[in-house]
Amino acid sequence: MNILTLQFLLEIVFGTIVLLHITKKNVGAALAYGLQSLAITAILFGYFFETSNLSLLFIALLVLIVKVILAPVFFIKLIQKHELTFSVSTLISQIKTLIIIAVLTFFAHSQKFAPLTGIFPANQVLLSLAFSAMLLSLFLLINRKGALSQIIGILSLENSIVAFTIFAGLERSPALQLGIIFNIFIWLIIAIVFVSMIYKHFGSLDITTMNKLKD
Amino acid sequence: MLEIITSPISFFILLSLFFIGAMGSLLLGKDDALANIWSSFFAIVGSLWGLLFSLSTIISGDALSFTDGVSPFPLLSLSLHIDMLSAIFIFIISLIILFCSIYGAGYVKHFYKKYNIGALGFFYHLFIAGMLLVVTASNGLFFLIAWEIMSIASYFLVVYDRNEKNNINAGFLYLVMTHIGTAFIIISFLLLYKFTGSFDFEAIKTGAILIPSSVKNVIFVFALIGFGTKAGIVPFHIWLPAAHPAAPSHVSALMSGVMIKTGIFMMIRLFLDILQPVPAWWGLTVLVVGAISSLLGVLYALTEHDIKRLLAYHSIENIGIILLGIGSALTFSSLGMQSLALLGLVAALFHTLNHATFKSLLFLSAGSVINQTHTRNMEEYGGLIKYMPQTAFFFLIGAMAISALPPFNGFFSEWMTFQSLFQGIISLNFSTRWIFILAAGALAFTGGLALTCFVKAFGATFLARPRSAEVTHSKESSFPLLAGMGALATLSLLFGIFSGQLTFFLEKAGNSLGIFQAAPSLVSLSRGKVLTVGNGFASVSGLAFLTLFLAVIFIVVFITQFIINKRQKIKIGATWDCGTDLTSRMEITTTGFARSIVLIFKGILKPSIQHEIEYHDSESRYLPKSRTVILGARDIHQSYFYQPLHKIVNALSLRVKNIQSGNINVYILYIFIALLITLFVIL
Repeated sequence: MNILTLQFLLEIVFGTIVLLHITKKNVGAALAYGLQSLAITAILFGYFFETSNLSLLFIALLVLIVKVILAPVFFIKLIQKHELTFSVSTLISQIKTLIIIAVLTFFAHSQKFAPLTGIFPANQVLLSLAFSAMLLSLFLLINRKGALSQIIGILSLENSIVAFTIFAGLERSPALQLGIIFNIFIWLIIAIVFVSMIYKHFGSLDITTMNKLKD
Repeated sequence: MLEIITSPISFFILLSLFFIGAMGSLLLGKDDALANIWSSFFAIVGSLWGLLFSLSTIISGDALSFTDGVSPFPLLSLSLHIDMLSAIFIFIISLIILFCSIYGAGYVKHFYKKYNIGALGFFYHLFIAGMLLVVTASNGLFFLIAWEIMSIASYFLVVYDRNEKNNINAGFLYLVMTHIGTAFIIISFLLLYKFTGSFDFEAIKTGAILIPSSVKNVIFVFALIGFGTKAGIVPFHIWLPAAHPAAPSHVSALMSGVMIKTGIFMMIRLFLDILQPVPAWWGLTVLVVGAISSLLGVLYALTEHDIKRLLAYHSIENIGIILLGIGSALTFSSLGMQSLALLGLVAALFHTLNHATFKSLLFLSAGSVINQTHTRNMEEYGGLIKYMPQTAFFFLIGAMAISALPPFNGFFSEWMTFQSLFQGIISLNFSTRWIFILAAGALAFTGGLALTCFVKAFGATFLARPRSAEVTHSKESSFPLLAGMGALATLSLLFGIFSGQLTFFLEKAGNSLGIFQAAPSLVSLSRGKVLTVGNGFASVSGLAFLTLFLAVIFIVVFITQFIINKRQKIKIGATWDCGTDLTSRMEITTTGFARSIVLIFKGILKPSIQHEIEYHDSESRYLPKSRTVILGARDIHQSYFYQPLHKIVNALSLRVKNIQSGNINVYILYIFIALLITLFVIL
């Protein structure tokens, strides 16, 4: 696949994480995650067309079903069930958030991390972008108050890691991909059960209200 | 036949016996008597097998190695190496287990229907298996697993009598201290791994030359603290007087007699075998630590009126004496005097064996007394010789042995330690010589104070009149208890009489270490079984001392019975009491006995004196009803080191608690920061 196409797809992943940071609607976050997963699926399809490996096609289809269709649908249903359509819950203001995003992206592209991003020299730009996506996903977990946003943040982090490992040439094995899909699937089930339980117990998904967890 | 007994299978049979003993005890836990029989049977059979295995290994002189090649972990392997040194320690462990288990079979009966006997048996066997693995493991990680099995199992034994709150506290202190020690051991092993690329002891030994001397010094300090904490060296000893009294007496005997020696074993293994050659200051440091431990150990013992704490402090003292032997061996070996170094090592090994014997005997005797009187306070004993004459006799033998009185074994190993120190005094340069002179002085002083302490302990416990009603209800111990004590008392005598022959066995173990293989012996045994050190420098004979001892006893008895009493008619009447009734209140107490010595050393012991007076009329306060003087001595390490340290840790913990906000975002932020810092450091 053309490097520019790959870069474009990865920029979609990166862009959706920025969107996850600034979106004020939970539905928007779920859709952004769906779009992000679609970009990852497109990358996997691209590798299938390059290698004609049928198992990669199988994996790409599975990712499409689980991450692009099932996960966002689950989230939207959950949002509708608990009426969580609107959430402005970030810990720091939007401007500060954008500044930190810029700083983290700058750090990820700095020479300090060259040993990490230079693991596959031909893809260094892509790896830097994937690495900054990882850092931004982690920051999303820190910045967001809503449990749902945090769940999407973890899944987004997983997408970033998958992208990084693909471009680093570490993880194109179908078996490993299958393992990751299975992992995500289980994660989704557990997350949804937990979210329902948390909502039932605390009457909110704002994690700052869960003070009884302390001590 | 010898080949079969000294094979790896034989060692695994030994471990299996304790494993079966542990599992069986747990399964039979509902029936106290059955669990006790099962546990004691397998412990006795296992220890007999251990004795056979170790003696066969010593006789054959061959080292035994075993490595499990199918370990799924790259750095961890089930790797065992049993050379003569390991065999000596297996022998010591098995010997003490044998008699402690015979004793334990009768002793644990008083726990029936009170605690789970199956659990006691389970942890007892696990503890033994842990000790055996510690002295045979030859892979650092495998060793740490064995070390933890030993430590955790012994912790559960310490808190076995869990209804006593003090025992729970003692167990917690032991757990904390033992893991501080383990942390130091782990750091030293990691440093060894960093420079040699292996956790295997043989590989580390080969690659030790690659370790920079500064790192080697750090490893020495960390290992000394780590293994020293288990051995009970000052100032890392504070767990010992708390934990040993808390455990059941036959376990106390094992902990004090054997477990703390595993620390000594590892010091010998690391410093005299794996890390050779070593600088001279290592040996001198060990000598100073040994001298301080022996002296402070016995001084604190003198202030005690809790019989088990007194014995525990004597363990610190004796560990100090063993360290004097190891310290001199290290110093001599670093100066290229291998024959003298071998003498020091033999002295240390001999005292290790002897201390295991007489200290176990003393703990078992103390256990019998406590079992009858239900108190550890010696102030409440007195006159027990009338009620428990055999126990008193065995305690007396143990007391004589620990006080280094001939013909018992303690004398001979201390004599040999003295010879090692004297050899240093005559053959080393000025500055080093002074450390040896001070060490010899400390040892002489320790010997005298130990004798004083056991005069106090024996006198207060067994002589004079009963000081509590419990004593008058006491009965002689049952047969298994007497058998265990009797066998150890006999061994204390036999190890003294045959000290010459034993020395040669121990020297053979020393020769198995690489640095001593070509070292000529400084010890010789004449036809008359006279043990001579260094071309006639000093000689001693166990048999001669026995003869003299028996002759003195015979003469004293003969003179008393036949010459003094011959012309006198025996009239039994009331003792003249100056017109007042003789009561136990007129006897000297343990506190009173030790008072003068405690006051001499008040600069170190920092005694506290508390007076309490009760008046007949509390308003007029003219006529006192009773007057109480409580003389106490608090461990200065506790007051000046551990308590301030505890305060600092507490204050820090309170500050650290502030980061515990209960907010998930903050926790993820910590992870994020940690990740970034790690990336910045490693990239």
